[in-house]
Amino acid sequence: MEEVGTWRERLEQAALAPITKTSPMYYLWVAFLLAVIGWGVYAYSRQFQDGLIVTGMRDRISWGLYITTFVFFIGISHAGTLISAILRVSQARWRTPITRMAEFITAVALVCGALFVIIDLGRPDRVLNVVIYGRWQSPIVWDVLAITTYLTASIAYLFLPMIPDLALFRDRLAGRVSTWRTRLYDLLSVRWQGTSAQRRSMAAAITTAMILIIPIAVSVHTVVSWIFAMTLREPWNSTIFGAFFVAGAIFSGIATLIVVMAILRKVYHLEEYITEKHFVYLGYLLAAFTLIMIYGNISEYLTTGYKMAGDTEFHFRQLFLGQFAGFYWFYFVGGLVVPGLLILLPWTRNIWGVVLAALLVSAAMWVERYFIVVAGFRVPLMSYEPSTYAPTWVELSVMAAGFALFALLITLFAKVFPIIAVWEVAEDVESAEMSSSAGRLAPEPAGGGSP
Amino acid sequence: MKSMAKVLLLSVALGGAVLGLGRTADASHAKLKVVAPIELTAGDSAEVQAILRSADDGLPVAAAAVTFYMEASFGGIDGEVELGRAMTDENGAAILSYQPRSEGEHQIRVEYLTPGASEPEEATWSHSVAGATGQLYRSTAGVQIPGLNVWLLIALVSGVWAILLSVALRVIAIARAGTAAEAMASEAHRPTGAEAPAAASRSGSTAAR
Repeated sequence: MEEVGTWRERLEQAALAPITKTSPMYYLWVAFLLAVIGWGVYAYSRQFQDGLIVTGMRDRISWGLYITTFVFFIGISHAGTLISAILRVSQARWRTPITRMAEFITAVALVCGALFVIIDLGRPDRVLNVVIYGRWQSPIVWDVLAITTYLTASIAYLFLPMIPDLALFRDRLAGRVSTWRTRLYDLLSVRWQGTSAQRRSMAAAITTAMILIIPIAVSVHTVVSWIFAMTLREPWNSTIFGAFFVAGAIFSGIATLIVVMAILRKVYHLEEYITEKHFVYLGYLLAAFTLIMIYGNISEYLTTGYKMAGDTEFHFRQLFLGQFAGFYWFYFVGGLVVPGLLILLPWTRNIWGVVLAALLVSAAMWVERYFIVVAGFRVPLMSYEPSTYAPTWVELSVMAAGFALFALLITLFAKVFPIIAVWEVAEDVESAEMSSSAGRLAPEPAGGGSP
Repeated sequence: MKSMAKVLLLSVALGGAVLGLGRTADASHAKLKVVAPIELTAGDSAEVQAILRSADDGLPVAAAAVTFYMEASFGGIDGEVELGRAMTDENGAAILSYQPRSEGEHQIRVEYLTPGASEPEEATWSHSVAGATGQLYRSTAGVQIPGLNVWLLIALVSGVWAILLSVALRVIAIARAGTAAEAMASEAHRPTGAEAPAAASRSGSTAAR
């Protein structure tokens, strides 16, 4: 018990350390991100002033980097749903040290993704027209409904398991941090005292939220795919678009979680709690999804290519041999085949191998969204010359600012809130301790659960 | 003799001019009138009747083609758009079914060209269109499946938000239970009130154990 007590104290200190200690590198990093965001805001101000003419989008290819990035962010928002909700439902105990990061990625990615829809509008002042004049029959309205519901549910699902940890911060940091933080922890900990009544309420709330959030998350990316599949464009005439998008979303969500996990583990010295086991287990999930994605590609392109109806030939030529061939083959080989091999081959199945696979997958999944969007628009609807699209400095700057905002929000979150679910990790270890002989726990506390 | 010839030529020219003008004036041997409501609502259907009668005897002119025009603007270009043509019946009435779709003051011009004449007979109809209160477009295509409509979507979304509300109520229950626990702790430590914060701190930090 003494060892567990000491280990628990170390765990709490590890959770508190990011709040109490700030290195000069932290300020430099935040300043860099703010500079990128500032440049992006300037670029957007040019677009706001002059209109979408400053972008590379025109009447024939009217979606570009913005919608690509929107779909990408909505995709990675599935990290929290899979890692936290699905693994919680399946009672996979190894998940506990990484759930908080996954849940936060979900909330942040949704905020960043939703911003890109507004950025894509030439007249953002008219965004409320979707609500005022929206038609229930429109997939755009379904998308707005699904994303707002998912964002609300994700914030609730992030907040609920954080309550005991916020109470820990409230009690342990009282008088050691600024007044606003003290008040924040006091407010958000909702007077948590750990009573049995509070535990019952929290358990019921978490159970409800974790079951609810899974279908909501599936609906979100399905509806995003329907925006494409319900438009009369040859490359988007696919019945498996919904399932394909959901699989791709979970795939990119796992990859992003692995990357964020690796960075926070290194920066905040969480090696004791986030072990190689977590990377390898997530790597297995990633490998499983590479196979699902390869299957999806073959299923979609083989069936449409066999019939070769309408403009399929034009689309196949531009995708596999022409303008988008580089993107497609990078996605297929670099984003599906190579990551799968990196994880499945024993000599690269380690932290670096999994992180490299995750980086490749993240890049490839953005590229996949790009060619789905742009190549889809490039197929002519009538007998005119195919158009071309090249993003301008405005679009590139705004996109960079979006990714910088994503990084900044995660950085700030780690500075204000507990990045490890302390109570869940502790409960996991203590329950394992109950069923094991004394002294077996200490060497492998966080990853000691069953997969 | 030359003067006589000049006078004769001038007389012929003047006579021709008078006859020519007289022929143009004679072209207006039909009268056109429009009968239609002057106040409409966007989306409503109205009948615009152009009544054509002979200028000479006032009798209806049947089987004559009447054309309806309206001022319009599209893509930055202003001009007249032909709304349609209708043939007059035995009562001299040509009927156009008209459904205004934009609010404001509008004018429709009706035109009839007598065969052989160069100038058409015209009449205009000014009317005021009030804005629509509902959606004008109604899709008639597709397969209507009973029960698969907007109410199903509303029920689904409402159900999800109701469950989310129940989660929020659980959070309120947590806060209330915490307040009750704090009150009990405060009561228990009343003689030595300074210990209360420390007790609360301990309970919080060990909350999840």
